[in-house]
Amino acid sequence: MGIERLKSVSYRKPAYLLILLDALGFLLLFMNKDYNLNVLYTGAAVLALFLTMYTVLVLGRMGDKFIMLMVFMLISIGVLLLCRIDLSYGFRQIVWILVGGAVFFIAYFVYYKVKVWNKLWYLYFIGGTLLFLITLVLGDTVNGSRNWISIGSVISFQPSEITKILFIMCLACYASGSWSKPVFGKVAPKWAALIITYIFVGFLVLQRDWGTILVMFSIYLFMIYVYEPDRKLLVLNIIALVVIGLLGWKFLYHIQVRIANWLDPWSDISNRGYQISQSLFAIASGGYFGSGLGNGSPYYIPLVHSDFIFAAICEEMGVFGGVAVILLFFLIAYRCFKISIMAEDPFDKAVSFGVTVMFALQTFIIIGGVTKMIPLTGITLPFISYGGTSIVISFASLGIIQAISAKTESAESGAAAKERKEERDER
Amino acid sequence: MNVNKRIIRVLVVIALLFLALASYLLWFNMFRAQSVYTNSYNRRQWESEQKIKRGSIYSSEGELLAETEIGSDGSRIRRYPRGRLYSHVIGYSSQVYGKTQLEMTRDSDLIGKGNIGLTIGDIRPGNDLHLTILDYLQEYAYDQLDGRHGAIVAIEPTTGQILAMVSLPDFDPSSIEEDWEEIMEDPDSPFLARATRGLYPPGSTYKIATSAAVYENGRTTETFDDPGVFKKGDVEVSNYGGEAFGSIDIKTAFEESSNYVFCSLGYEMGADGVRAEAEKFGVNKDIEFDIPTSKSEIQYKRMTDLDAALVSIGQGGLVMTPLHVAMMGAAIANGGRMMKPYLVETVTTENGTVIGQTRPSVLYESAGAACAAYVQDMMIGVVEEGTGTTAQIDGITVAGKTGTAETESGEDHSWFVGYAPAESPRICVAVLLENNGTPGGRTAAPIARNIMRRFLNE
Repeated sequence: MGIERLKSVSYRKPAYLLILLDALGFLLLFMNKDYNLNVLYTGAAVLALFLTMYTVLVLGRMGDKFIMLMVFMLISIGVLLLCRIDLSYGFRQIVWILVGGAVFFIAYFVYYKVKVWNKLWYLYFIGGTLLFLITLVLGDTVNGSRNWISIGSVISFQPSEITKILFIMCLACYASGSWSKPVFGKVAPKWAALIITYIFVGFLVLQRDWGTILVMFSIYLFMIYVYEPDRKLLVLNIIALVVIGLLGWKFLYHIQVRIANWLDPWSDISNRGYQISQSLFAIASGGYFGSGLGNGSPYYIPLVHSDFIFAAICEEMGVFGGVAVILLFFLIAYRCFKISIMAEDPFDKAVSFGVTVMFALQTFIIIGGVTKMIPLTGITLPFISYGGTSIVISFASLGIIQAISAKTESAESGAAAKERKEERDER
Repeated sequence: MNVNKRIIRVLVVIALLFLALASYLLWFNMFRAQSVYTNSYNRRQWESEQKIKRGSIYSSEGELLAETEIGSDGSRIRRYPRGRLYSHVIGYSSQVYGKTQLEMTRDSDLIGKGNIGLTIGDIRPGNDLHLTILDYLQEYAYDQLDGRHGAIVAIEPTTGQILAMVSLPDFDPSSIEEDWEEIMEDPDSPFLARATRGLYPPGSTYKIATSAAVYENGRTTETFDDPGVFKKGDVEVSNYGGEAFGSIDIKTAFEESSNYVFCSLGYEMGADGVRAEAEKFGVNKDIEFDIPTSKSEIQYKRMTDLDAALVSIGQGGLVMTPLHVAMMGAAIANGGRMMKPYLVETVTTENGTVIGQTRPSVLYESAGAACAAYVQDMMIGVVEEGTGTTAQIDGITVAGKTGTAETESGEDHSWFVGYAPAESPRICVAVLLENNGTPGGRTAAPIARNIMRRFLNE
């Protein structure tokens, strides 16, 4: 029954719309960029990547069919804007999407096939800690956060992005109940998970990566809200968060600056308030419908290709364009929550829940930050911002979600087939 | 199962977060975007102006008030042919110091935002603004003020059109960049648009609103025994000049501006009654206008009945803008309906096609028609035989109210608000002379009379 209904909802129409958006968007940009053929090639590459990945996904029955559509809508908007800002960003983003696509399928199959994920909490913890240590030793400081690693001069990545996934897997071991043995025979898993969380947050404080701290700690809070029967733990952690936040505000210069900039960026507009005010200028100039692709001045916004890309969307596609992007993100989150609710295996459920919360919060924090709704903490906008780590990790988490969705669907269709067979036998 | 239920709750929380994002973005665009965009640090506005010729501004008669000239090197000069006359209406447009007043609020019209350019590379024209202000009346009002600090607002009661609006001191908008330091340091604050941003105790002109409340409470036939001083608790208010009127009815009390009678009435109506009446006339509410305005308000955290007595005579914690006092008079003139004031009549393209027109609309139903007629009758009495006889015009019935507002520091403010002809009002004028030290009937009323006469003779 469930499957019949699923089939009746067509995924073709939105796919055509997506193709139409790409065609129109890149054609417009092509004309705007003095008929530079490279724009069309980039557009064609996005479409080709979409069609290939989507065909494989549909034919291979790899779970939910709608998330990938919406993800490619975001990717198209992202590449379109990156090309508009600087063609070379557009090209390189295509390469990253190619890599991300490969990682998506790898993550999908590895997660689908391997059955022992729920037993490996200590590996996730050790992996995460190692990544942190490497970053602290070898890391570069970019935009005030020491969270980048460069290998050679070509590849640089943010290990904390990987750590977030490891962290979620580790929490999921505890949440799903498959990690039930006390550590060293003494520390119950719920306390061990708490300690691990604070250790990771501690590392992030050393790196001054406030955005990731916010995401990680919130994942932890939501996780114990859903899974921990002991309500005291949740309350204590929220109190701890408030106390630590207040202490940080009182004593940490970096946090004071962020709060002050949030409350009033205008008084120090040429220095500390510069980024956020440029972002607000861009959003304010767009109005409801935007200046139109290619007609705005997004160059004035610092980091416009990564953290601040949402401001450029609002400038050229208008506030309505921005709201549409927000809605897309929400719909993706909604589908992912649905997958988490449908999942039967407790570990799968916890992992998909954690990944979804991560995705949603990251979006909220950065969009809220660049619009000055909340204090700005630099993180990337999933699937839209330029950047290898961001794209690859977003695709990897999507691969995990799809694998969980596919597992549920195959279990359902198996059950349905079994039912039909029983019905036949009865007759 | 319990787990799924909680996951759904988390989904709801996330949905609310996203909803907040979308609403915030729309809110920002509706209420914040304009002032953010016109910040002088925003390079976009100058960049977009490189491709366009900023629109001109004209008076109601078609007199040119502001235009942009483009030099052969592409440089732009914003010219204001009428000099200082419109500095507090049109404001200025400076690359260094940003934009104010109409140059700021109507920026997107002036730069023709949303106009579709048919050719690329050409300079596009912005849109032009046509104001409701009559240039001759504006100049006349400016001369009437004669350099004294204060404000004059002339408004058409039936539509809310601003016919003239002057604030002094002012500045020269075309040399703002050279004069900036000097203007900023001037203790007389020439940048303060007194007509719209200045907050003053309205003094006895506010008895207009109090009388409306008297009518609505059905107390019009009462008489009082006026000893010359209202004394209660630690409040002591005497009539102007300390005069004791003895046995007096409300009409005479209004005409002679008895503080005793109106303080007593306000005290008896109490804090809630007085505040409710004030809010009917728009006090404590933002006035939506073509240029930024200050909010007239009753500035008490907790208002007592004694405070109410003071507010009823336009003192105590009550402050209003001259624009708002003019609107209060105009509301009575218009049968109790306060019209929404406006400055911009039409927006046109360069070749005259009208693309935007302001339609008159009712802002508040401040009083009923019978109530307005009652107050008008007393206001005619003020000019015919009361404190405002200096506002009389031969052959025309004028209605008005004088005011002399005490200030905590310095001299009294002189006020007059009035309109004419009383039978079918065409103009309402409010005059404020800041710290002038004279009774409103002696100085402010003749100015208003001259302006009304000039307008009605035209």
